[in-house]
Amino acid sequence: MATRSRPISSNFLLLKITALFVFWVLLSSSFTWIHLGLGLLCSFAVAWINSGHSPFVPKFRLWLKFLLYLPWLFYKIVESSLHLSKLILHPALPIAPQLITVEPKLSNRAAVVLLGNSITLTPGTITAEVGRNKLVVHTMDSVLREDVANKHIESKIADIFKDQEPDL
Amino acid sequence: MNILSIIFIVAGLFFLIVAAIGVIRLPDVFSRSHAVSLTDSLGAFLMLVGIALHEGLGKNMLKILVVLALLYILNPGITHATIRAALRSGLKPWKKETP
Amino acid sequence: MKTFLICVLVLLAILIGVYLYRVLRGPTVFDRVLGLNGISTKAIILLIVIGIYFERVDMFIDISTGYALLNLVGVLAVTKYLEEKGRS
Repeated sequence: MATRSRPISSNFLLLKITALFVFWVLLSSSFTWIHLGLGLLCSFAVAWINSGHSPFVPKFRLWLKFLLYLPWLFYKIVESSLHLSKLILHPALPIAPQLITVEPKLSNRAAVVLLGNSITLTPGTITAEVGRNKLVVHTMDSVLREDVANKHIESKIADIFKDQEPDL
Repeated sequence: MNILSIIFIVAGLFFLIVAAIGVIRLPDVFSRSHAVSLTDSLGAFLMLVGIALHEGLGKNMLKILVVLALLYILNPGITHATIRAALRSGLKPWKKETP
Repeated sequence: MKTFLICVLVLLAILIGVYLYRVLRGPTVFDRVLGLNGISTKAIILLIVIGIYFERVDMFIDISTGYALLNLVGVLAVTKYLEEKGRS
């Protein structure tokens, strides 16, 4: 807390307190005065302590696009889950695991994180190593490998982060 | 409502069983982790949605969905950490030997 | 409904046994970590189903949330240690 890199803007502090308080209510789900007051106090303390080094800039348009991306990701998850269960239940076990390297052309840290998480969340493909703009992916067979290599996920994510300033 | 939740729970159990078979059958750490991630992503989703439907609208349903979101956020990190540690400590992925 | 829930509970316990085989047997130490992760996911679901069975979901949900978070911390610590150890 000794070194604050930027002055605290009361607007951002308020937003952060609101977000933390909503999370508190969600977890405790009790509406007596003592719990609500304690939650407000705790969220204020956490927001105050952390206000120095984490810029909490609300980007509602980005979050909206991200929420719209989730159903598509879920469809992908179901598709490759069914494929993977077919592979596992097949008596001959026709798997061909391989490590491949993907080099996405994303210009944002959050975008690379989101891409890695999406790849890991889809069954059959797992991100094993993350570099600046390079992912090592372990894949289970050629169909799932094609899923990663044809850059569908990447183009979707690039579309989400289209109007953010690049920081990579 | 009850029938729907039973259908969801049975479908989730199917994926959990498939994942357990995979954990026994598959040859090495890397491919086994795929089976575990299958459980986490679809099996747990179907089970918890079934349970939430059985519970009905209310704060319990909301809390079950919070646990589900938590699983979805945390599990990719866990799998990635395990696989990265295995790769960095020098394990080689299993390959089908060509006769 | 009660009998169905009992069946689900027994099946989940059997699945935990399957993962336990992998933990005890696993050729490398990473298999054991993976098996523990699988067991914890099953345990989270098991706790919630137990909560439904005893009609005390509000209590058991909190336990399972704590279990999920503790699992993350534990697995990250173990894998970090193994990674550093394997490199040296």
